[in-house]
Amino acid sequence: MKKKGLALLMAATLAFGALVGCGGGDTSPAAEDSTQAAEDSASSDDASSDSAAATNDDAVANLVAATTDTVTMTVWASEEDQEFTQGLLDSFQSQYSDVTFDITLGAKSEADAKDDVLADVEAAPDVYAFAHDQINELVNGGALQEVVNTYTYDVKSENLAGSVEAGTVNGKLYAYPMTADNGFFLYYDKSVFTDVSSLDAMIEQASAANKKIAMMVSNGWYNYSFFRGAGFEAYLADDGLNTVCNWNAAGGTDVAQAIIDLGKTGTFVDAKEDADVVTGITDGTIAAAVSGVWNADAIKEAWGDNYAASKLPTFTVAGEQKQMYSFSGFKMIGVNPHSKNVGWAMLLAEYLTNADSQIARFEARGLGPANIEAAESDAVKSNPAIAALAEQAEYSYSGTVGGNYWDPAATLGLTLISGNPDGTDLQELLDNAVEGITAPAE
Amino acid sequence: MDNQVEKKKKTNPFLTYFKDLGTAIAKGDVSVKLSMLFMGAGYTFHKQVIKGILVTLIEIAFIIMCIFYAAPNLAKFGTLGTVQFEQVLDPLTLQTTVNDYDNSFTILLNSIIALFLIVCFILFWISNMKSVYRLQVLDNEPESLTKKHINTFREDVRSLFSEKFHLTLLSLPALGVILMNIIPIFVLIAIAFTNYDQAHMPPNALFTWVGVSNFKSLFANSLTVTFGYAFRKILGWTLLWAVLATLTTFIFGILLAMLINSKTTKLPKMWRTLFIVAIAVPQFVTLLLVRYFFGDTGIVNSICSNIGVTEFLKSVGLVSQHLNYIPFLSSEHWAKFMIVMINIWVGVPYQMLIATGVLMNIPSDQIESAKIDGATNFQAFIHITMPYILFIQGPSLITDFVKNINNFNVIYLLTNNAFITPDQKLANSNAKEVDLLVTWLFRLTNDYYNYKMASVIGIIVFVICAVFTILSFTRMISGDREGDYQ
Repeated sequence: MKKKGLALLMAATLAFGALVGCGGGDTSPAAEDSTQAAEDSASSDDASSDSAAATNDDAVANLVAATTDTVTMTVWASEEDQEFTQGLLDSFQSQYSDVTFDITLGAKSEADAKDDVLADVEAAPDVYAFAHDQINELVNGGALQEVVNTYTYDVKSENLAGSVEAGTVNGKLYAYPMTADNGFFLYYDKSVFTDVSSLDAMIEQASAANKKIAMMVSNGWYNYSFFRGAGFEAYLADDGLNTVCNWNAAGGTDVAQAIIDLGKTGTFVDAKEDADVVTGITDGTIAAAVSGVWNADAIKEAWGDNYAASKLPTFTVAGEQKQMYSFSGFKMIGVNPHSKNVGWAMLLAEYLTNADSQIARFEARGLGPANIEAAESDAVKSNPAIAALAEQAEYSYSGTVGGNYWDPAATLGLTLISGNPDGTDLQELLDNAVEGITAPAE
Repeated sequence: MDNQVEKKKKTNPFLTYFKDLGTAIAKGDVSVKLSMLFMGAGYTFHKQVIKGILVTLIEIAFIIMCIFYAAPNLAKFGTLGTVQFEQVLDPLTLQTTVNDYDNSFTILLNSIIALFLIVCFILFWISNMKSVYRLQVLDNEPESLTKKHINTFREDVRSLFSEKFHLTLLSLPALGVILMNIIPIFVLIAIAFTNYDQAHMPPNALFTWVGVSNFKSLFANSLTVTFGYAFRKILGWTLLWAVLATLTTFIFGILLAMLINSKTTKLPKMWRTLFIVAIAVPQFVTLLLVRYFFGDTGIVNSICSNIGVTEFLKSVGLVSQHLNYIPFLSSEHWAKFMIVMINIWVGVPYQMLIATGVLMNIPSDQIESAKIDGATNFQAFIHITMPYILFIQGPSLITDFVKNINNFNVIYLLTNNAFITPDQKLANSNAKEVDLLVTWLFRLTNDYYNYKMASVIGIIVFVICAVFTILSFTRMISGDREGDYQ
């Protein structure tokens, strides 16, 4: 199949070269001819084999043949990814060496890509990287092209099921999974902890060593862990804007009480910001923390040989041990439907996320791949942080929540971890929070 | 004659404006009447051919603008568009087809610009009629020594650089104000009456007019929408903050300036330069650094806990028992206190500079004669220096006050991500205790795309600022108080 693709490519290339030789003029009939030729050869060649693949290759050949002007595209990748992405862009361009590209690479953090993309969708880049929790806003804002078809590899079957699910809104795939490492798990210091299976055990060991365990409980992204672990739900409604949440259902107060109890130990502490976690680990006060791969290097440096990572522990709810959940996080590549070259943008997005690129990304940047084949490789598996993520994957939610989830959930977390200072009735506390979480997005 | 002058004074300038137009149309000759349709006619007939051509060109340009720009946009202004964006990708050719969709925001913006141009053109047309009529009167005057000369085009252009130079100078800034301030303000006001939010974001979705329902929901305080509650709470803090921030920096600025100006201070120039260096560092850099210093695990906290300040504050009850740090920027009262303090630190150098200038200009004879009469330094300060400074700096205090109502940097940079509100009602409206109206507005637009409510808040901030400015300016500057100090 690959060879045939190459042949088609060459046919198209020749046709294109001839056109360029003609020096412009009336180009469209010639282009159609070459397309026709390519289609003929494909159908005669390969009538029996995989016809879908044949049409995909045709599509690429058609696109190459139909492209006469310079393809101008803008790509956004994170600041840290610039050098690596530029390398991929260069090899992408050399792969289609007969098309003139003018690709500009811009730096924009995946974490808040939506802020700039949605500010003016028509002026936004053609291809951009974003964290999957923004996918609903991006789809609602019309900033993502549906992945109606794939051409160079099958996005849905080659990537982890969770990552494909995370790129799907209302049953339609809108993005190309790039990494599968944006979730959180447990980092711990091996010299302090021998048993990290339950929070209770960990708190005992930590207080014996006069160390603390940190988690950003006053943050909806992290405190979801407790409620979901105890079987309560918060997820995006079908409208793609609002959140459905049942944290105030019967038994929810037990979870609230569990968080209050954790806070009262004095050993399990709330970190307001990511920086607080790193600072605490570096200065030696924190011996275990719930965080993600973005802090792996800093933590590894601080703990050296004692650096270890694992899935999240269990915690006690009304006397029972419950496994803490995680939001799993993926970084995605999206294509802007307002792009002048949607076709090329889709091919580029595929290129940036194919198995080879994901492996290269792991090697260059240590980012965990979403590609199944890449994730299975020994190098990936031997990375403690990524292995911990994989362990946690079973207990993680790859969907998202609506925009109104975050502030109320953060406040609820803060109130609980600081021991409910006003002494509000727990049920009332949960009712108020859920009311805010589920408030219709205006 | 006297009577007539009296009458003229009484007539409404607005009425006079249209009366002059009526006179021009009624008494104008054929060419002037023709100018109603062909604007250059009057000039051309009365010896100002180039001007006539130019005016006609402007008219043609306006007509073209109306047909190709104003009409298509204004036609959709009532609905803000009806055709939703649809794009189809052909998986076989990888080519996309996009329908001819409406973009509500572009329609709104273009319509407002078009309306603006139309109003401008009407004003231009009226003034054109009047000046053509004036020209006719001038032209028809019998030849005499007193008859005024009709300017040639060259003379007209030259006059723009001599007696009418103010027009030339003002045209650029006026254009800038219109483009940068006035049109955006109109757009903002218009958006407050639409449903422009996350669910209605152009270009993919349309938004439309919803009347005053956004204003209603701002003041409504039902159980589900806590917007009204959040608004009142934030408005209160915004005003308190503006008063505190303005007064503290003002007073400390003056004290600092006096200290440096004092004859007993050694090396006054060095001190002054040091404070000016503080201004030279971009404010956001200072603020971000300070924010990390005072973070829950920041350096100030670790010093405080090492030397026992944290324990002391805990025992006094200023820090709640379950914390092992001082919540400088993460609990409501501490954060508000710190914000005011940090603002003093950031804002005092500016006030010091201004106060230094004022202090240097206080006539020393007054103070000297007061001292001869036996006044103490303090009395001289209260009765001479302070009133003088207040008089000079009054207007700048008001601008400071308005600036502080909109002081985005200090609040946002110090508390964003660091402060989480413990009040569920505020959280449910995406607000925090330490938010000013303007930071709340920013997060509503930037994080939640709630443009319609942000516009409503924007209008209210504008009204508040306008009311304060007008009130205090008229009170402080009314009357001829300047005489008191001469």
